[in-house]
Amino acid sequence: MVVIVHPGNESVPKAAAPPARLASLQGKRIGLLDISKPGGSFFLDRLEEIFRTKYGAAEILRTKKPTFAKNAPPQVIEQLRGMDAVVEGLAD
Amino acid sequence: MPLVQNAPPIPGLQSGKKALVVFFETDCPTCQLALPYLNAFKRDSIQVIGLSQDDERSTKEFVSQLKISYPVELDSGLKISRAYDPHNVPTFYLFDESGQVQQTLVGFDKKGLNELAAAMGQPPIAPPDDGAPAWKPGCSSRHLHPSQPMSGCLGTPDLEPEIDGRTSEGSAKLLRRAGDPASRITLGDEEDPFEYCRQKFGDALPVIPPTVEKVEAMVKASGLAPEAIIARVPPFYGEATVEKIAANAVMAGCVPEMMRVLLPLVRAACDERFNLHGVQATTHFAAPLVMINGPVRHELGFWSKQNVFSNVARANSSLGRAFQLILLNIGGGRPDGIDMSALGNPGKFSFCIAENEEENPWEPFHVTRGLKREQSAVSLFAAEPPRGVSEHTAPAGKTVLETISFALATVWSYRTCLMPEAIVVLCPEHVKTIHRDGITKEQARQFLFENTGVPVRHYSKEERAEGTQLAANYKEITVRGEKCYQKFRSPEAISIFVAGGTAGKFSAVIGSWSTGPAGSQMVTYPIPDK
Repeated sequence: MVVIVHPGNESVPKAAAPPARLASLQGKRIGLLDISKPGGSFFLDRLEEIFRTKYGAAEILRTKKPTFAKNAPPQVIEQLRGMDAVVEGLAD
Repeated sequence: MPLVQNAPPIPGLQSGKKALVVFFETDCPTCQLALPYLNAFKRDSIQVIGLSQDDERSTKEFVSQLKISYPVELDSGLKISRAYDPHNVPTFYLFDESGQVQQTLVGFDKKGLNELAAAMGQPPIAPPDDGAPAWKPGCSSRHLHPSQPMSGCLGTPDLEPEIDGRTSEGSAKLLRRAGDPASRITLGDEEDPFEYCRQKFGDALPVIPPTVEKVEAMVKASGLAPEAIIARVPPFYGEATVEKIAANAVMAGCVPEMMRVLLPLVRAACDERFNLHGVQATTHFAAPLVMINGPVRHELGFWSKQNVFSNVARANSSLGRAFQLILLNIGGGRPDGIDMSALGNPGKFSFCIAENEEENPWEPFHVTRGLKREQSAVSLFAAEPPRGVSEHTAPAGKTVLETISFALATVWSYRTCLMPEAIVVLCPEHVKTIHRDGITKEQARQFLFENTGVPVRHYSKEERAEGTQLAANYKEITVRGEKCYQKFRSPEAISIFVAGGTAGKFSAVIGSWSTGPAGSQMVTYPIPDK
């Protein structure tokens, strides 16, 4: 019998329950988070257009991380508070 | 601000001058970040005093390692802390000329520090873009835990702030400074402990099972409590307690004395400026390159000569591997999981080199980084794999440097300028030739800066190749008569490190990941003396 010391992270991550799926985007407020990689804006520009014209989103809030290399700072996350849905644009 | 009644005098505080007094604890990460900023004050017309809540030994170590240049006094018995009652450290008290408290600041806050500077008639001391966060809350003040020992709060339920960027400004959500004891896993006789550990906690190679006895010996060598949290390791911010670091060190084959290097190394890796979160999660090649300087090289057997990047010495290989196992097991940066590097890096097994200071005619790397020659140090760079530069025929030092500059032009991506940084690992034969020609280290770096360029003819807007989109920001220079874009943004983007064997004219250049305040900045931490 050998007793060893657990060398890893033993904390159990708290999983947040996903919000209910939106039945429709009509009249909804949608946040688009650009992580500031080159090319991300092309994708998000097109999404914004589709959300507005095809799906009738009421408001599109565009925000951007200062750098893709770091976590979004609290003020960027705070801007997205209250949105009905947020799309985070990963692109290269 | 209220006058603090009947407070014991603050040692060294003179009336007639404005004075900034900062209460601090030596093991508080926010104090460790904040206090060096006060070195920037010009102290001819004002006073700056640090007031330590810890004992003389740990305070002296703090002052020496962080190179604090202003007077630091001890708050023996925490009498002054009780009188002023700061709830957190660091807390800064600005006294006016008559000794009245004029202004206070709690925690690390760049804007607040610059406001304090302005109130004392001084220029700003905390640049917004030096890579440190704009704000970081402090730890609970030692005097609020009167039952705790004076020397360090390790092993106590003290709290420190959450710093992972998910806390909104102003809400000082406190995290604990001591973690839970690591679980013990009992393996029955039918279980092969080597196979169990390889599968559960290995880096695909076999590891040494971290038995309780071996881990305890490692913890003992650290001189710290097993549950003391040294850092929280991104990307999952697992608590790196002394015991968990020790378990990984055992698995990697470290000797117990290696804890002396591992603890500052883990702290350095989790320094916000290094941005380990990004380094671990990027699709780029980056792996943290560990560079060792000073007397610790001989004391623990770090190798700096032939095969320096290879499997040559237990100290280099086991430290580098222990560090990588910590990143995997505590940080969660698993190469089959959240670490999504497109091609990876062989350095993710172990990537640790020492400087061959004996063959370096110039000042050693850690001295260029601001430490004293006799101080042992560990530096970290988010590194691409090394690429070799052979130059066996050029007789002149300048030609050797020019050959290296061609390799430097290729780091990150050939056409990308300004963003990358690089380390030039000069082999002893090359540095000897360069030095023989009367070239100083600074001149060598300047030469590389001025002569590393990418010819403008290699850029075409139509092709949209990487680096072209930023060309409007690049500076045009002439290299060997040809119009080029200058590769690096400043001479400081190039670092020189001397290593390798005395035979063979092979140097190397090592490119970076994303650099500067928006990426990863090189960090250098002192290693405590033996």
